Amino acid sequence: MEMHQIRYFLAVSETLNFTRAADQCHVAQPSLTRAIKLLEEELGGDLLRRERKLTHLTEFGRRMLPLLRQCYESAVSAKQLAAAMKSGDVAPLTVALSHTIDMTLLVQPLAELIRALKGIELIFLRGRPGEVAGHLEKGEADLAVAGPLDETWERLESWPLFTEPFDLVVGPDHRLAGHNAVDLAELRGERFLFRSYCEMTEPFVAHLRTHGLADEARHQMVCEQDVLKLIETNLGIGILPRSRGRGPGLARLEVIGLDLKRTVSLYAVSGRQRSCAAATLVKLLRAADWSLVA
Amino acid sequence: MTTGSLVEKIETALAEVRVMDAPLAAKLDHVAACVRELSPAFAEAVDRFLDRLRASAAGTGAPKPGDPMPDFLLPDETGRLLGLDAILAEGPVAIVFNRGHWCPYCRINTDAIVAAQNLVADEGRRIVAIMPERQRYSRLLKAESHAGFPILTDTDNGYALALGLVVWVSDEMRAMIAAAGWDIAAYQGNDAWMLPIPATFVVGTDGRITERFVDPDYRKRMAVEDLLAALREAR
Repeated sequence: MEMHQIRYFLAVSETLNFTRAADQCHVAQPSLTRAIKLLEEELGGDLLRRERKLTHLTEFGRRMLPLLRQCYESAVSAKQLAAAMKSGDVAPLTVALSHTIDMTLLVQPLAELIRALKGIELIFLRGRPGEVAGHLEKGEADLAVAGPLDETWERLESWPLFTEPFDLVVGPDHRLAGHNAVDLAELRGERFLFRSYCEMTEPFVAHLRTHGLADEARHQMVCEQDVLKLIETNLGIGILPRSRGRGPGLARLEVIGLDLKRTVSLYAVSGRQRSCAAATLVKLLRAADWSLVA
Repeated sequence: MTTGSLVEKIETALAEVRVMDAPLAAKLDHVAACVRELSPAFAEAVDRFLDRLRASAAGTGAPKPGDPMPDFLLPDETGRLLGLDAILAEGPVAIVFNRGHWCPYCRINTDAIVAAQNLVADEGRRIVAIMPERQRYSRLLKAESHAGFPILTDTDNGYALALGLVVWVSDEMRAMIAAAGWDIAAYQGNDAWMLPIPATFVVGTDGRITERFVDPDYRKRMAVEDLLAALREAR
């Protein structure tokens, strides 16, 4: 299929009117009609139903619309990127990260982005899940990387990057430091570092409750660096997603009976103009081999 | 016949052609004949799919010799972004579109190109493969074929569409491919079921196409001799 065929179909699906769609695309109506006909032939089904003055999408057309739009937008961004690289004119890119996302995950894709788009200015925001979603909704961030955002906003687009389990992380002097795995029940009496900012806090607390661990002592924490510091110095233990809390001075154990996983996704807002820097980072993150992380 | 066995038998056929001393076209034909014998229903679905693509002139809008090759910037199998400009700065290039690491014809074609890759490099030419799959899968194709050239990821087939090379896999074909055990949605990271027409373009250092091969019949690929000759002639 050809880009212009899809562009004409997208225009008709928006206007539901062949004349207006042709005007919008600056093309004669017979050309637009012919191009869409050819697209329908290639796809093997009618996308549009024309009834006298009314035009609407067929069921097949409704099904194909998001698929064709996705491919079309990807092609448009491919072209824009080539132009942006030549002109060197690149808009700043704002990325919102939840508190639980380790920047290490993004270093290589960001390095590539900066290498390709030399003038690029990056702006990072951090927040709890609701704040991350808010940054996207209000247009304060172009993209976000976070665990589940629990949002029902239909314009929120997401691409799952990887799914990872949660492990117990303890300091080097902790009684469990040499072990590979520990039963959840053995954590009775421990002091938990409570990561209230984590996307998985609610299911985690529910899990502790069902295992009779709801009343364990805890420290309320607001950021990951603080959690890791206290773990390292043996002032508490943490249950962290696998991509977090790696490092010297930290021991990681599988928790038997802890059925807690999270999916880290890339988020964007559909229908909003995506800058070429944003489109490139989306491609880098979606193409990456995350099996190496989780 | 169980569905799993189709893929196993295709693997057997692939192993056979790997040791065959025959031109690429004969190897591709051999696998196509095997598929037809193993699953006439699959082969007939392919025939109907290709008939429709030909009737609707799929791929005919792709850039031709003399046209400029549209620029791209795509990540290779290690996540490194490669652009056409940077590649052409080092000499003419052959750009080879693949459907995916699972496609038997792409695997045979990649093998055939890999067999010529040292010669290509010795002559100061380059090869770049492009496919719509994520790095996890482009790495598999690269490792299996021992390709010395990069395999780029074209997410959502955006670059392929800019070239007029994208086809949608019909429900009938999709059911056959899925039944064979190939999970295209997982490989590509979307559920659109789009595939590129596996075309080959030879591009000179001025960015213009000097030779191309485009056939919606994905069982047909540019002969390696033609590819080598075109690369040799390109300036």
